[in-house]
Order: sequence, then structure tokens, then C-alpha cells
Amino acid sequence: MATESSMALPEFLGKAELLKQGAEARVYRAQFLGKPTIVKERFQKRYRHPVLDEKLTHRRTVQEVRSILRCRRAGISAPVVYFVDYNSHCIFLEEITGSSTVRDHITSCPEAELERLAERVGQILAKMHDEDVIHGDLTTSNMLLRHSPEDGESDLVLIDFGLSYISALPEDKGVDLYVLEKAFLSTHPNTEALFEKLLKSYTASSKMSSAVIKKLDEVRLRGRKRSMVG
Amino acid sequence: MNLTQELELYPDHSVTQMLFKEVKNAAELRQKAVDGKINGALINPTMLVNSFQLLVAANKAVHLQKTGKMKTRSLYSEIIFNLSPTNNISEAFKRFGISDGDDSVLVVLVHNKDESQLLSDIAAKVDGRQIPVEDISSLSDAAKIKKLYKVTPREETCGTLLDAVVCRMATKDVM
Repeated sequence: MATESSMALPEFLGKAELLKQGAEARVYRAQFLGKPTIVKERFQKRYRHPVLDEKLTHRRTVQEVRSILRCRRAGISAPVVYFVDYNSHCIFLEEITGSSTVRDHITSCPEAELERLAERVGQILAKMHDEDVIHGDLTTSNMLLRHSPEDGESDLVLIDFGLSYISALPEDKGVDLYVLEKAFLSTHPNTEALFEKLLKSYTASSKMSSAVIKKLDEVRLRGRKRSMVG
Repeated sequence: MNLTQELELYPDHSVTQMLFKEVKNAAELRQKAVDGKINGALINPTMLVNSFQLLVAANKAVHLQKTGKMKTRSLYSEIIFNLSPTNNISEAFKRFGISDGDDSVLVVLVHNKDESQLLSDIAAKVDGRQIPVEDISSLSDAAKIKKLYKVTPREETCGTLLDAVVCRMATKDVM
């Protein structure tokens, strides 16, 4: 029985299209129950002790899935979870078709649109943090813009909740924003003003922003090449 | 009319759905199901948004059966249990299984490729008019579904009712 089930998935993944291989997981695209689906496989890490590997991998899978549902319940767009295989640690998610990353948008869009985009990103992150969801890997590649069929504004969708967890601490939210700031400024040169706009929008939309921004300022003073004289 | 979907993860298994309206013998069917005489799941279609919802439940049920981790005693009761947002098995049956006074029923079968005989066998037992499974949304009671799955208007801004329901079904075990 156990061998039977472990035979089916590798075969399925073997036929699927591998999109990305990261240190943590492999991401595939396939058809599942008639819908275009993304499968995220957290493969076994042989460099870890097996008991530890199983615990960590399982925990990360569970946290990812919980964070997604929590975001959706709050009205934050994230891919729908179709199925979770806890044996092979695979998550079957809705494929967000007809979309591009915010990263690609920033590099190609006109100035006026960028300000509106920064405003929206600030709003969605405020909403997420107000739900006590820490994304853990905020980058412009993990935010998608889903083009709407009518001429309406495109839908901002957050993806890759692989490092996410639930926390109410302003410190964790501050660090989440710091990760985004570092990723943002290194990927998109000369966008300090744009990121400021994002933070302003975040502050205006979040209910607990002052504590979070205070922590963000503190975190900025730590880290590499920073003087800890104080 | 019928809708058959092969399970990509378990290619020997296909899920067929058959939808009936103006059903006159719901009580008899329910009793037969309880007695184990029906080789299929009898589901209340007013609680379903779309046939995809059913497929997600069926796929999970087959997966749990193959890995020996079902929570209920049979594949068909597991499908009904997977539809429910809670972990209470009898509540799942009450809400998603058919009741004596129901006038519509969705029949679900999990089978190998060539079992069309099974389909006509079961269809013969239902005293009602078969309609295309695609029409299931015309029977859906959206208000009842939203209430049971606790879907708020806030959540509906980022997706459809089907999205909300499927996401809960898929993550039920860890929430």
C-alpha cells in the first residue's frame, strides 16, 4: 500500500514541467483535476539528520498552507490551495495565469504607475501584518500582478509563503519590511523614493504601524557594515 | 451528462459524477447507502458550488485510502467527510449526505477505466431525472454554503466562493 502511493507522485512529477529548483523546494507546473496547477515539492535534504529533516519539512509545509488560508480569509490574494500531500510534502496550488511579477513591472513601467503600485503594495502588506502573518521572503519577485479581463486594475497577488509564520510582534513585522527593503533597493536601483512611498502607504493603512516602523528603524541600524556603537 | 475525471495522481482511478433532479426515492436511496448496498457516494448537491469541489474531496479521499490514513471507514464516506469544514464525521454526513426529503442527489463513483456498467446500475436505482453535472450551480444554495464554511464578504474580494471552499477543504487538517 505504501509503495503504491509513493510510486504515483514521482511519476506525476516526472511528467510535469519543472519551473524552478531552489535550495528548499522544486516548483512544477501541471494539470490537476482539470486545472492549471503549481506543485511545490519540498524534497528530502540528505545533509540533514532524517528525523530533523522530516520535522522541519513538515512544519514548513504546514506553516505555508496556514499562512495562505489566513491571508485569503482577510481578503489578501494568494494562490488557492487545492491539495496537500503530507507524505511527500507537496503543495498543489492554483496557478496564477496571465500575470507578471511586480519586479518586471518596476523595470518596465512609467513613473506615474509605479507610485500607484507602491501605494497598493504598502496597503496589502499592512493588511497582511494586521492579520499577524509574516511573509518571511518579501521580494518583488514574490508579488504578482494578475491582469484582469476587463480594463480594471490588475489584482496584486502574494506568492511563496514558504518561510512564513504567524506572529504579532512588531519586531517580526519590522524585519519582514527590512527584508523587502533590502531586496527592493538591490533589485531596483535608485528607487529609494518609491520605497518611501510604499512605507508611507503601509503606515497609513496599518493599525499598528508606528511600533513596526520604529522596529524597522532599529533593525536598519543592525546588520552588516553597520556601526553598533550606541 | 455525466462528468468523468481521471485522477492524475492515481491514473487507474477515475471519478464520475451523475446529477439527478426531481428525485422521488431519496429515503430509499439513503437507506440503501446506510446498508452498504450502493457502491457510490450520495451527496446533497445544494451544498456544492461546482463539480471541482467534489473532485478535490475525492482526490484527497483516494490519497488517504492509498496511504492508509482515512478518518472514516470507507472511501465513499471519506469523500463526504472531506467536503465538510469540520472534523465531526456525523455532522459531515448530516450536511453533505442526502436526507429523506431531498429532491436532488449527486452520485459519485470512483472506478477504473472500463466500468460503465457500474454507472448504469446506479443510475437505474435513482427515481429521478438526470441533468448535466455542469448544471450543479443551479442547485447550489450559496447562502447556506457561505454560512457553513464561514466565508466572509472580505474573503470574497480576493476570490470566488469555490476558491474559499476548496482552500478550506485542502487545509482542514492543519487549521
